[in-house]
Amino acid sequence: MTIKTTFNKSLLAASIPLLLSTGSVFAKSGSHDMHKLYEENCASCHGSDHGGYLAPALNSETLKGRSPTALRSLIMTGSFETLMPPFFARLSDSEIRSMVKHLQSTPKLANPAWNIKEMKKSLKIYVKDESKLATAPTYKIDSMDDVIGVAARGKYGRGQGSEAVFINSKTHKIIGKVPTNTAAHIIEFNPANPRWAYVKTDAAEVYKVDLYTMQAVRSIKTGLNGPAIGISRDGKYLMVGSFVPHNAVILDAETLEPLKQFELEGIDPDGKMVSSDSGMIIGTPYADIFAIALENAGQVWVVDLKEGFPVTKIKNVGRHLHDAFLSHKGKKLMVASYDDSIVTAIDLETRKIIKKLPAGCVPHVGGGSVVKVDGRTLGFGTNFGTCDDNTVVSVWDLDTMEVVKQVPVSGGTESPAAHANAPYVAVDIITKDRRARTIQLIDKKSLEVVKTLDVGGHAYFPEYSADGKYLYVSAGYAGDEVVVYDAKTLKKTANIPMESPAGIFSRGRVKYMTRGLSPDEME
Amino acid sequence: MKLFAYTVSLLLISFSSNSFSASAFAGRAKAAQVCSQCHGIKNPSAEAPFPPLAGRDELYLEKALRQYRNKTRKSDIMNNIAAGLSNRDINNIAEYYTRLKP
Ligand code: HEC
Ligand code: HEC
Repeated sequence: MTIKTTFNKSLLAASIPLLLSTGSVFAKSGSHDMHKLYEENCASCHGSDHGGYLAPALNSETLKGRSPTALRSLIMTGSFETLMPPFFARLSDSEIRSMVKHLQSTPKLANPAWNIKEMKKSLKIYVKDESKLATAPTYKIDSMDDVIGVAARGKYGRGQGSEAVFINSKTHKIIGKVPTNTAAHIIEFNPANPRWAYVKTDAAEVYKVDLYTMQAVRSIKTGLNGPAIGISRDGKYLMVGSFVPHNAVILDAETLEPLKQFELEGIDPDGKMVSSDSGMIIGTPYADIFAIALENAGQVWVVDLKEGFPVTKIKNVGRHLHDAFLSHKGKKLMVASYDDSIVTAIDLETRKIIKKLPAGCVPHVGGGSVVKVDGRTLGFGTNFGTCDDNTVVSVWDLDTMEVVKQVPVSGGTESPAAHANAPYVAVDIITKDRRARTIQLIDKKSLEVVKTLDVGGHAYFPEYSADGKYLYVSAGYAGDEVVVYDAKTLKKTANIPMESPAGIFSRGRVKYMTRGLSPDEME
Repeated sequence: MKLFAYTVSLLLISFSSNSFSASAFAGRAKAAQVCSQCHGIKNPSAEAPFPPLAGRDELYLEKALRQYRNKTRKSDIMNNIAAGLSNRDINNIAEYYTRLKP
């Protein structure tokens, strides 16, 4: 999922002393609409409201007192080993100069309006008559559960490199690429009909994808930024949420028509009324509901999928919520709170908090992982903070809701992967140095790190194939490939090139519900 | 006209101060990572205006980098990046990129 927090400037950017000339190398500057230029080149990462998204906020407040020269050079070269791409020769020197001026004089913008009306207008239909589409996959595959989808961001977060790439996880061959215009972020698979997948992009567009013919059939823009998307167990509804503006909407999964919009606001754990970003949204095999985390309000809302879509609000879940995962047939929801460094267990049946469990520093559980080990249901939670160099992966017993162990790992982590058939739980080390190239493997039984894989690029988002035989990892940023390992021997099996790969999603997971659980746990 | 006056070797020094030991290979990989920001490791971005380096002739790459370094080949950005490269850096990087399959 996304990171929205304060970023340290990279070592490298900070160590670049500069000497810039005053004249422009480029012939022409012209009067550009800077806001448009920002929207078209920067907003999908930095936020349409200049308030930050998966990259830092860029506004008059955050850039106050910063040297325009240093900012210019950073924009030209990009920031090494981060997602910040080089705009040298993509934007002219004068455009970059004007952009810096624009950023240093623009305050964070108010929540822009993006309502059902705007959404409806943005609905695009690429395939008019879906009934004419092939009725079975147009490529060879044993089971649709073998499909793995990768969100390829593309270096610039938009354009030709931005696509959802689908792979047969038995042959490791690409079976289709679906362009998404802006960086794909999350891929959801329809649990009821294996032909449909949904891709959410950083610019809050939702694509309905036909996996049989590997093409987008429809799309809708549900906001300006925000990754959250969930699908109901019957495959009939999608719920998507935004950072900009602060809303969420339920869509008809077949037509993508918006059905109901929710304004995200509420009283936070400190008693203040706040407007809130949308954190994770999740459907569950347990009931016809969606759960959504209101990041800033510290609340989880449960929406019933019936007439009027009524909401039950669970308050005081924690400060700055973000992502979550399910356990116990989808009845228990584990929600990460960045600022309290806890993971809160919620019972979706009683809609009450079960317990707040200690995590590590700034828990970011990604998709979470749950495995049965010696009769216990163990949950694994990653933590991306690096407080006092005390970096751990948290392991909880989800039956008793107790901490089992805080397993020391070599850096901050962002997403775990587990599988009933695989001996190791994989976690991605994201600390910004050589460690970011690596994945560490925790033995399910001993709960110790037993191996470190040097994947390359910025290695993140591990995921097992549906059969648990292969571990897929993105060598992201400039790594430009997905690397596949044998889950037992940990030998490299394949490399699959693509531009800036990020999230990896197995269709098998609609059966497993959470990474790690086997289908029997779903009965 | 100078756009950038930073040196890659300076950048490499700051990298080797992390917890992993800096083997010769690590230095090369790191340099490649600096270069890959623009040139990509195997390919530059489909959207980017930078020439690809992977699988190119080793002597050509060395020559180009020497020319950027002594400014007989002009490029605001590459002149400044190459300015900080030693002969060994140039050999290492050229060898690294030549061996990569694009
Ligand atoms: C693909 C995502 C992405 C895009 C597109 C992008 N950036 Fe960035 N940008 C980042 C990330 C990530 C960072 C943080 C880098 C770091 O930690 O060193 C960043 C950092 C920056 C910084 C430094 C901020 C600070 O507080 O130090 C500036 C300035 C900046 N970007 C400007 C821009 C501009 C201008 C554009 C558009 C022309 C743009 N960026 C497009 C991802 C992006
Ligand atoms: C900020 C972007 C950027 C970075 C970082 C960068 N380059 Fe370049 N490079 C360019 C551009 C732009 C050109 C085209 C310059 C020209 O017109 O000659 C280029 C050209 C080159 C060429 C000539 C290719 C040819 O086809 O003739 C070589 C060789 C090269 N770069 C090597 C490197 C190496 C090695 C590094 C790392 C030490 C590096 N570059 C880092 C932007 C960059």
